[in-house]
Amino acid sequence: MILKQMNVLLADDDIDDCLFFKAAVDEFPLPTQLTVVHDGEQLMRLLTNITNELPDILFLDLNMPRKNGFECLSAIKLSKELKRLPVIIFSTSFEQEVVNLLYKNGAQYFIRKPSEFTQFKKIIQHMLMLIAQENISQPTSEKFVLTM
Amino acid sequence: MAKIKNSEEDELTIALAELAFQKEEKEKLVAELIIVREELAFQKEEQGKRAEELGIANIELVFEDDEKGKRAAELIIANKELVFQNEEKEKRAAELGIANKELIFQNDEKEKRAAELSIANKELAFQNEEKEKRAAELIIANSELAFQNEEKEKRAAELIIANKELLAFTYVSSHDLQEPLRKIQTFVSIILENENDNLSDNGKYNFQRMQLAAGRMQQLIDDLLAFSRITTTELKFEKTDINTIIEEVKAELKDTILEKHATIEAIELCPANIIAFQFRQLMYNLISNALKFSNPDIPLHILIKSRIVKGSKLNNKKLSPDKEYCHITIKDNGIGFEPHFSERIFEVFQKLHNKEVYGGTGIGLAIVKKIVENHNGIIIATGELQKGATFDIYFPAN
Repeated sequence: MILKQMNVLLADDDIDDCLFFKAAVDEFPLPTQLTVVHDGEQLMRLLTNITNELPDILFLDLNMPRKNGFECLSAIKLSKELKRLPVIIFSTSFEQEVVNLLYKNGAQYFIRKPSEFTQFKKIIQHMLMLIAQENISQPTSEKFVLTM
Repeated sequence: MAKIKNSEEDELTIALAELAFQKEEKEKLVAELIIVREELAFQKEEQGKRAEELGIANIELVFEDDEKGKRAAELIIANKELVFQNEEKEKRAAELGIANKELIFQNDEKEKRAAELSIANKELAFQNEEKEKRAAELIIANSELAFQNEEKEKRAAELIIANKELLAFTYVSSHDLQEPLRKIQTFVSIILENENDNLSDNGKYNFQRMQLAAGRMQQLIDDLLAFSRITTTELKFEKTDINTIIEEVKAELKDTILEKHATIEAIELCPANIIAFQFRQLMYNLISNALKFSNPDIPLHILIKSRIVKGSKLNNKKLSPDKEYCHITIKDNGIGFEPHFSERIFEVFQKLHNKEVYGGTGIGLAIVKKIVENHNGIIIATGELQKGATFDIYFPAN
C-alpha cells in the first residue's frame, strides 16, 4: 500500500474527459496528485525529462493529436527507463484486434470510457485502488479489458 | 662409052653413096646401140636400185605387216570391247527406256498433282482471305476488350479508392462519432445524478429518453462497426469444431438462456472449414436472435444440426452441383415471421418490430448473411408467424 501521495499522469486531448477524470480523482479518498498532458509529444517530453521518480500510473488515451496512444505505449515499453511505468489504456472505441495488440505491446489494462458518469468514476477509482495496493502486474488476456 | 662409063660410074657413085649412107646408118645405129646399151645399163642400175629399194620396201612391208597383225589383234580385242560396250549401252538404253516410261508416268502424276495443288492452293488462298478477315475482326474485338479491360481496371482502381474512403468513414464512425455521443450520455448522467432534486418529473423523463436515444445510437454505431469489420478484416479459414463454438456462445448468453428457460440442442455437428471468430459471431447472432424473438408462452427450444450434402441434391442455382456442402440448420419455436419477409430480414437496418418492444438495430442478421457470404455460402430463412423460424446455411465443406 502506497502511503505517500500517489502520482497519476493522464494523457488525453479531450477537455471534458479530463474534467470527468479530475472529478473522479478528487473524490478518491487517498492523497493523489494528478498531472494532465494533452498530446503524445507532450507526454513523451514530460516522461523523458523526469529526473527523479516516474509517476505511479499513466492513463493513456489512444486517439490523440501529434502522437497517438499506440505510439506512446510502444515508445514507453521500448525504453529501459520508462518500461516499468504501468500504462492503462483509456479509450472511447473498442476493437478486439486493437485491444489484442495493446495487450501484446505491454499495456496493463484496457478501459473503455463509460458513458455513465457514475461508472466512469467507479472504474477510475477502482484502478487507483489497485495502484495504491501495488497490484498492477499485467493480468491474463481475458482480464485485460476492465469492466465494472 | 663415056655414057656407059658414065652410067657405070653413076651406079658406082650411087652404090658408094649407098654404102656411105649405110655406113653412116650403121654408125648411127652403133651410136644408138651404145646409147641403148648405156640406157639399159642405166636402167639395169636403176632396176638394181629399185630392187634394192623394193627389198627395203619389202622389209618395211613385212614389218608393217607385223605391225598390222598386232594392230589387228588389238583391233579384235578393241572390237570385242566395243561389242561388249555396245551391248552394255543397249542394256542401259533399254533400262533408260523403262526409266523414261517411269518418268513419263511420274510426270503425268505430277501434272495431276499440280492440278490438284493448284485447286488446293486456291482453296487455301480463299481460306487465307477468310482468316485475314477474321483476324481483322479479332483485332477489332481485341481492341474492344482492351478498352473494356482498361475500363475495368479504372473501375477497380476507383473501387479501391472508394473502399479506402469507406474504411476512413468507418474509422470516423468508430472514433470521432462515438466521442461526442458518449459525452452527451455522460453529461446527461451527471445532470440526472447531481441535479435530481432540481428537476421536474417531466424534465427527468425527457433526460431519460435522451439517455435511451443516445444509448441506441451507440448500439447502432457499434453494430455498424461490427458489420463493416466483417468485410474488412482478414479471412483465415481453419478446421473448427462447431460444437465448441456453440458451447462458447451458450456460455456468453447464459443469463438470457436461463431467463427465457431456453434449451439449446446441438446434434451431429461436424467439424468445418470456417473463419472461427466470424462463425462465432454468426452463431451468437442467430442464437440471440432466437432468444429475443421467443414466444413468451412456450419455453424456447433451439435445435442446431448439421450434415454434409452433395450440391446436386440441394437443387439451388447458387450452389454448384458437384461440390460438397456443409448444411447447418438452426430452428426455433419462437414467434417466427411472415414468409414474405424471408429476404428482407437480412437487409441492413430492416426490422420487423417496433424498437420499444424488441430492441436492436437491425444489423444482426445482415452480419449473419455477410459472414455466410464470406464462407462462399448461402443462407435461407423460412418462417411462419407464431410457428418459429428456421435458418439453413450452406457453405462448401472443404
